[in-house]
Amino acid sequence: MNLNELLTVKQIKLELTSKTKEDVIIEMVKILDENNRLIDKDKYLQAVIDREKEFSTGIGMGIAIPHGKSSGVKEPALIFGRSVAGIDYESMDDEPAHLFFLIAVPEESSNEHLKILSQISRKLMHKELRDSLMKASNEQEVITLLNQ
Amino acid sequence: MRIVAVTSCPTGIAHTYMAAEALEMAAKEMGVDIKVETQGSVGAENQLTQADIKEARVVIIAADTNVSKDRFVGKTIIEVPVKEAIKDAKGLIERAKNINVENKNISEDLSSVKEEKSTEKKGPYKHLMTGVSYMIPFVAAGGILIAISFAFGILAFKEEGTLAAALMQIGGGSAFALMVPILAGFIAFSIADRPGLVPGMVGGMLATSLNAGFLGGIIAGFLAGYTVEFLKKTIKLPKSLAGLMPVIILPVLSSLVVGLVMVFVIGKPVSAINVAMATWLGNLSGTNSALLGIIIGLMMASDMGGPVNKAAYAFGVGTLVAGQTSMVMAAVMAAGITPPLGIALATVIAKNKFTSQEREAGKAVWALGAAFITEGAIPFAAADPFKVIPSTMVGAAVAGALSMVFKAGLAVPHGGIFVLLIPNAVTNVGLYAVSIVVGTIVTALMILALKKDINK
Repeated sequence: MNLNELLTVKQIKLELTSKTKEDVIIEMVKILDENNRLIDKDKYLQAVIDREKEFSTGIGMGIAIPHGKSSGVKEPALIFGRSVAGIDYESMDDEPAHLFFLIAVPEESSNEHLKILSQISRKLMHKELRDSLMKASNEQEVITLLNQ
Repeated sequence: MRIVAVTSCPTGIAHTYMAAEALEMAAKEMGVDIKVETQGSVGAENQLTQADIKEARVVIIAADTNVSKDRFVGKTIIEVPVKEAIKDAKGLIERAKNINVENKNISEDLSSVKEEKSTEKKGPYKHLMTGVSYMIPFVAAGGILIAISFAFGILAFKEEGTLAAALMQIGGGSAFALMVPILAGFIAFSIADRPGLVPGMVGGMLATSLNAGFLGGIIAGFLAGYTVEFLKKTIKLPKSLAGLMPVIILPVLSSLVVGLVMVFVIGKPVSAINVAMATWLGNLSGTNSALLGIIIGLMMASDMGGPVNKAAYAFGVGTLVAGQTSMVMAAVMAAGITPPLGIALATVIAKNKFTSQEREAGKAVWALGAAFITEGAIPFAAADPFKVIPSTMVGAAVAGALSMVFKAGLAVPHGGIFVLLIPNAVTNVGLYAVSIVVGTIVTALMILALKKDINK
């Protein structure tokens, strides 16, 4: 699997600064925008927030996967963020979230990209990967782990 | 043991796959064989085949979207929100292991039939059966409470404030009033899922208030289901307004369409039929009495609660003169008793022609028939109208004709076989009982001859 088109070292932040759910979404959307993946930042942000309203993407196990499919997205992309302290993300198990994957998908996108995203979602269900991601010491290591 | 599952979420990017993975992991750990189809933004992957579904004990649907259940006819389905599978996949598989899989033979049979025939043919029957299975408990609850009310005296319920009146209000005024709306609502639910329920129940309610009976309710149910399906396909809203679809747009539009059709297209002819039948019966006085008995019997047992039945019953009540017995009324009641009694008898002597739910319900139908609550026959007639209705009509015609020939008379408008015990309520009691018994047996034999075995 090749993640490189979706996730670059610049799209990884190992020490998120936000303390709340809303701030962490904004923080990560901003990184996405800085990496030139968005056409309309506000539109995409709204899509992510609307998605959260349906039910929180804090799926428990310390993971949150805010995501949005929006015409505000230029090309499919991923942001990985980590908060060692943890952020209350209204998760299903009421535990703080540590690993954040922000997923951006345009209205029309290639199946190949979607498949990569779906495979990452699947991988996250495995404890070994989550533990390794928590311990990763640099950005390249994260990419290597997800590429495995 | 094998389980199949379908996962799906609105965006189809993350949850669909996480749920699938969680289920696969849990199943592996618990030694269960599972195959999970994902319906995400890429489309369906790892698609379940006809053979997968046939072999599976249970189907798990973990989805927040509308996953079509057409493929799973006859299967035991556990349906949960997608997050439930992520949160507690093990618990879900545990449930699938322990759930009581009813009518296993039938379900296997249905799925094998489906492979051979077109899905079109299986669809409407399944929808009808869904409606009927939800309706049966209402019929039992209402019918038995009404029967208890009669135990206080045939007209005891007319005394306000009494227990008998309350029982009649609960059983007749409420449980029975819900019967056709529930039938129609769940037929539509089976076709169009949740959005079908509103127009289905509204249409069923109209079928009741327009006196269109359960046949009108079946029409309302199918009309509602397919109307919602059609609206879902044709109305395309921008994403920002999509939330309005299930809450406002579908319920309002579908109820409007179904309601107008029921009132103007179904309601008018129904009342015309009722009036025409009543007039026709009125002109029949003086005809050969056995022939009149046959006609009354056919009418009573045809649409059971619909316009034809109501015309016959009203005609019977109209012949009552205080303090005297009426031969017509006796024929009417005999013909209203034999459909449920005949069906109850059939469920005992021909077990393989009924589902297990129907066989259980059959026990209550004895009591309903005995109390002249013809409605007890409705779930059976609704489930298989082309076989059951002719049977009940022939049986009732025999009962009506015999009652007339024996010159049995009845002085009260209701009460079932319990009035046989009241002095002077019935003349020629013995022969009247014979006509009911014969009609019952004929009905049961007709069902035996016409109705197919359930697993053939």
